[in-house]
Amino acid sequence: MNRQTTSNKTSALSYSLRDVAFIALTGVFCGAIFFGTSLSYNFLAAGLAAIGLGPFANDVLLGLWMIAGPLAAMLTQKIGASTIGELLGSFVEMILGGQWGAATLISGLVQGVGNGLGFAMTGYKRFDKLGLLLSTITGTLITFGWSMINEGYGKYNLGFLLLLLLVRFISIGFFAGVLVYWINKLVEKSGILNRD
Amino acid sequence: MNPSLKLGLVLIISFELAFMQSVIANLIVAGLGLIYLILKRVSPKKILWMLVVSIIPVFGTWFSFYTHGAGDAMHSAWLLSTRIYAYIFLGGILSYTGTVDELLGSLEQNCHLPSKFVYGTLGAFNFAPRVVLTVKQMKTAAMMRGEALHVWSPEIFFKSILISLRWSDNLSQAMVSHGFNETTTRTHYDTFAIPWWNWPVAGICLVGLQFLAFSGLF
Repeated sequence: MNRQTTSNKTSALSYSLRDVAFIALTGVFCGAIFFGTSLSYNFLAAGLAAIGLGPFANDVLLGLWMIAGPLAAMLTQKIGASTIGELLGSFVEMILGGQWGAATLISGLVQGVGNGLGFAMTGYKRFDKLGLLLSTITGTLITFGWSMINEGYGKYNLGFLLLLLLVRFISIGFFAGVLVYWINKLVEKSGILNRD
Repeated sequence: MNPSLKLGLVLIISFELAFMQSVIANLIVAGLGLIYLILKRVSPKKILWMLVVSIIPVFGTWFSFYTHGAGDAMHSAWLLSTRIYAYIFLGGILSYTGTVDELLGSLEQNCHLPSKFVYGTLGAFNFAPRVVLTVKQMKTAAMMRGEALHVWSPEIFFKSILISLRWSDNLSQAMVSHGFNETTTRTHYDTFAIPWWNWPVAGICLVGLQFLAFSGLF
């Protein structure tokens, strides 16, 4: 069996130096892969801004920012891993020169907690399709709530707001849900996590 | 200013800013941030870059509230677009007036963050340039086989995980073999104190922020 299924409650809470380095490195990788696309973000944003749909650039790509969290949770199966993964990921983005600065840290925390809630709802027992599905739902709702306040989404008219919510759910559902599921399947098939 | 205190202050201001409904307050925060950056002799090129890179999102935000906003759309448009500038300069303070080493070192000593988080993260961050290079190599290698790796390809993440596993193993073993211990108390060569004047300055910033928040400015 791989180490995921043999982990028990105490090991689910304690992080070793290696776990921390692993989660941080995965975060750095996600950041680096994402930054390969930041150019396309600006193009997309510019195109959409011209027709008054600027925030969609944000919502379409939000899922990409949120891969690190659920990935860390699925791979390490530890309590709080998605929050730590997302927070480290956003820290990397901030340091590598993301354009949002300190706000990145706060949204990283919001995203991590949002994702983590989904796994928490399963009692940190279901790191599978169900856990991921719940985490994409809670991730969408929590981040959207924060956008209502922070990015002023509450001031849009209702139709526009619902469209934004839908786009965000599709983005998070695909990147932080389906894609993470595919990645995890590759990892499980390869057996690279059986290292203890 | 002590890096941990600076981080805390910037986070509190950023958080409270999200709830504030005043264009002028946003501009004041952005202006003060800009002045701090200039006083700290951050290179004009970096400041210019911060201004340029934000043009698209600021314009996009303004225009979308202008076209789809409910209620006082003009106020929303100006409020949310000026808020972006406030965030960008606040973020610049963290990114450009201190190093990651200082911040993490200070978090360990002043906020008692466990050392494995501090040094695990620090070790991983030092890989950042190699990570960027490795991602490029993976893409190039795949292209030579006639495959294009996109952000939506699970393969690129799988390869990243493989490398992360190997590097984190090597890194933690190297650290332990150089005497790193997760449990014993550490002594420090670089110590981070919080100078006494930091507290009144932080206090003044926070009190000032409350004035901005509750004064009912436009």
